[in-house]
Amino acid sequence: MLTKEEVMHVAHLARIEITDEEIFKYQKDLKVLFDAIDKIKELNDFDDDKMIAPWEKDFDIERKSVEVNKDNLLSNVPKKKGNFVEVPVMVNE
Amino acid sequence: MSKYIDLSIEKIHDLLKRKEITPTTLVLECFERIEKSDLNAFITLDKEGALKRARELEAKEVPDDLLFGIPIAIKDNIMVDGLKCTCASKMLDNFTAIYDAGCIDLIKSHDMIILGKTNMDEFAMGSTSETSFYGAPLNPWNRKKVTGGSSGGSASAVSAGLVPLALGSDTGGSVRQPSSFTGIVGMKPTYGRVSRYGLVAFASSLDQIGPMTRNVYENALLLNCISKIDKRDLTSFDTNEDFTRKIGESLQNFKVAIPNYFVSDIIDDEIREKVLNIKTILENNHVQVDFVDIKHIDKAVTLYQIIAMGEASSNLARFDGVRYGYSYPNPTSLDDLYMKTRRFGFGNEVKRRIMVGSYLLSGENAKIYYNKALQIRDDLQKSFKKVFDKYNLIIGPTTARCAYDLGVKGDDPIKSFMDDILVMHANMGGFPSLSMPIGFNKEHLPIGLQIIGNLCDEATIYQLASFIEKEIKDDFSEVRDD
Amino acid sequence: MTNYKKTIGIEVHCELKTKEKIFSPSQSIYGSMANTCTNIIDLGYPGSLPLLNNEVLRFAIKACKVLNLHITRDMHFDRKNYFYPDNPKNFQITQNETPIGRDGYVIINDDGEEKKIEILEMHIEEDTCKSVHSAKNSLLDFNRAGVPLIEIVTKPCIHSAKEATLYLEKLRELLLYAGVSDCKIEEGSMRCEPNVSISKTDKLGTKIEVKNIGSISHVGEAITYEAKRQEEILERGETLHEETRRFDDKSHTTILMRVKETGNDYRYFPEPDIPYVHLTEEFITDSLKDLPRMPDERRKDYQKGGILPINMEKIIANKEISDYLERFLDINLVVASNLLLGDISSYLNKKDIKLSDTKLTDSKFRDLVNKLDKKEISNKNFKDILVDIMETDKSIDELIKENGFNNLDDSVVDDIIAKVLDSNPDFVHQYKSGNERVLKALMGLVMKESKGKVNPSLANDKLKEKLDA
Repeated sequence: MLTKEEVMHVAHLARIEITDEEIFKYQKDLKVLFDAIDKIKELNDFDDDKMIAPWEKDFDIERKSVEVNKDNLLSNVPKKKGNFVEVPVMVNE
Repeated sequence: MSKYIDLSIEKIHDLLKRKEITPTTLVLECFERIEKSDLNAFITLDKEGALKRARELEAKEVPDDLLFGIPIAIKDNIMVDGLKCTCASKMLDNFTAIYDAGCIDLIKSHDMIILGKTNMDEFAMGSTSETSFYGAPLNPWNRKKVTGGSSGGSASAVSAGLVPLALGSDTGGSVRQPSSFTGIVGMKPTYGRVSRYGLVAFASSLDQIGPMTRNVYENALLLNCISKIDKRDLTSFDTNEDFTRKIGESLQNFKVAIPNYFVSDIIDDEIREKVLNIKTILENNHVQVDFVDIKHIDKAVTLYQIIAMGEASSNLARFDGVRYGYSYPNPTSLDDLYMKTRRFGFGNEVKRRIMVGSYLLSGENAKIYYNKALQIRDDLQKSFKKVFDKYNLIIGPTTARCAYDLGVKGDDPIKSFMDDILVMHANMGGFPSLSMPIGFNKEHLPIGLQIIGNLCDEATIYQLASFIEKEIKDDFSEVRDD
Repeated sequence: MTNYKKTIGIEVHCELKTKEKIFSPSQSIYGSMANTCTNIIDLGYPGSLPLLNNEVLRFAIKACKVLNLHITRDMHFDRKNYFYPDNPKNFQITQNETPIGRDGYVIINDDGEEKKIEILEMHIEEDTCKSVHSAKNSLLDFNRAGVPLIEIVTKPCIHSAKEATLYLEKLRELLLYAGVSDCKIEEGSMRCEPNVSISKTDKLGTKIEVKNIGSISHVGEAITYEAKRQEEILERGETLHEETRRFDDKSHTTILMRVKETGNDYRYFPEPDIPYVHLTEEFITDSLKDLPRMPDERRKDYQKGGILPINMEKIIANKEISDYLERFLDINLVVASNLLLGDISSYLNKKDIKLSDTKLTDSKFRDLVNKLDKKEISNKNFKDILVDIMETDKSIDELIKENGFNNLDDSVVDDIIAKVLDSNPDFVHQYKSGNERVLKALMGLVMKESKGKVNPSLANDKLKEKLDA
């Protein structure tokens, strides 16, 4: 079972605020999941090759450039100032 | 009330060619049904846009393209320029797409008509569509039952005949499991077959967009339309083939494998019975069917959880209230903006998976869990390929049980993966896999058969599927309790 | 009493000047209006996927070559996960497991003594977006987001501020000449982050990182200051903690930015949206085919050509001149370089134009240098026609004619010499009695008589001839 602190740490890594009531619920839920996931420790018969994704081919190093959309980019921005995207003051810049 | 929509695509095309009906006829008929329906299958409808498009098409000469003028519904995690794209989340409740996904470019170039965006599990995380911010869609066969998920809205709409065709997305069964629960045909193509450009990512190495239809032939037709190399997705590959080409070919020297795990005691008896019944049918038609063991097949769901949640925690990090989507008003600080936006913007299932994913990648865990998962994943793909060296296809049930009651899953972290155990192998290995209805259980709920093929071998899956379809006597088109 | 040993490692980020960004087709033009060099990829839009600009691979391969790095043939990218507004997806695509370059070095010259600075690795990654800060908010401009970067990491093998600055100057020189980056520290296209630790033993001390340094000389200052600061702390018997500081160019000191959170938890994992990149030999050779000669090779030729070390460095420091000189390595380099560094440079500076803007063709320059070399034209005469050389299509010969330089035929020269000798019998006498120095005086008179129109060497020979006759 994850400690209160571990849950808080993960929640901050994920930038998800959780209330004190939720902490216990998460401790409980995460434990159940991790107990299931820990089964992977029983699996040991496999070789070193790893599969990042089932890619059909390598990257094409001769590929040409291609267009992607660049219109109305700022149309969904919650807080704008002129052409800039606004956020609260960034710390430890 | 006219029933043109219930006709086969070929018949509809024929009527269009002979000018007995127009695209507008079809669009109006669909909306008549949608507006009457209580299934909550759609999140966004675009009646105005659809009718406008239909009228534009009437000016055109009807080409030989069978999909011309056919209405279609799109899962709400696929970008359609100008329409809301919510992913069934409060986070994107106010988000309007500013571009078309790769598959939508193709849908539009084939002059199909998009009716709207369908309901789903929030960010495709779930297998009942109950995690939707807009409430769960209902199963047309029994409104107390779940549609399955995450593409539940698309499944519900096609199954109820609100629209002949729909697109879903499948990360760990999200097309096939709801297709199975609602008695329709759903395909998860080979990884890279359909462009993911414009699909909101859940787990990038597992996600694939797939067609959801009333029958096998129309499923292959729709896959023909949406599979094309897209230079905007580096994982999309060159693909140019007719997936209907093997339909009707004889099954001479055909070999099919059934993994023992797929008929073990974890499977509901009625379902196992139906699957074994298919085995008999095939054997009566001189198809060799063997039971096989596949390495890691029973533990693979663990790898799936690690990889899916790990990638998801990273893919969903971009939803932070800065550039788009829900943004917590008047935050006291930058961290406050992040923490509260994501606290109030995401639902529980999504938050839990992001938390677990973050934990699995943090510190030493990346080695213990994630790296190991990638290694065994490679092993798993190899062991499936070994089977395909000897057999044309692998078959088994799509799900261990039929559609169950709404609400039973509740907020249970483990149950939310319960329905992935038989379908996520195809995503892990990149293999194409289809689900088709093969009968009903006592409660008259559809039972799905899963057919898994080797990489890029969709055509053979359709060949077997259409053969079985003809052999099955049950009628899955006559809906249902309405 | 300072028996502490400094140990310094340096991380350098350089923007590659490719046409397009690394994972998106946007073109980033420095100083463009905010958020106009962007697309859905740069803003991390839902449904957008990273692309990969192969020109970045070509540039990185060049950089590997000039930094003597082993090129990784099979590589993938990784995600570095952290939340920050300048990081649009809240993960940065970088290379953690398979950097494109490994185990390289550059040679620095520390007062004639050559030293090898070892490079641990070089990887490619995407730049963050620019942010402007006020008291109540920060404003984001994503134009820079996704600009390609190479990060070059040395081993902790540097032991003085001087070595550090020499390394950075050399690095800058190499990347500049390789044509992969313009390395403008003031514009942020080159960023240097040294980490400094001091220790009395072989065990390394506590590592302190310094950021935001605006020039190479400031890197030196920062290192010297840091070492001194750390020494004072240790001498007071206090302990140091791993932290990140920034250089303040007003006070020329370093100021605490943040204490290292115990083990930054970046949750690296392989980027699933970009397949394996396999660099073929063909691709590598092709990427290197237009790589120009590096400064040290050029220096060797300059030395052979007899150019003074001080001028040599002046030339290297001015890539335009050095590149120009590459086409004339077969002529008198001293004359050529003096021309380029002297009269021609000052002309160009006055006009504020480039060599390429003038009418100085290669053949004209070659001709000019040879004529000056053979004294067929005097420096004085050259200065008179410099402007015409630069601004007209006329050949050197034409200009010499027009200006009537050495248009005196021999007979005239003979007459002048005869005249001078007749009117200065005592000089002639002194010469004959062995005082050769008067020759100069007589030459002067000849030049004066001819209003500088005789070819000096020619006149000199003739004069001697007559006197010795």
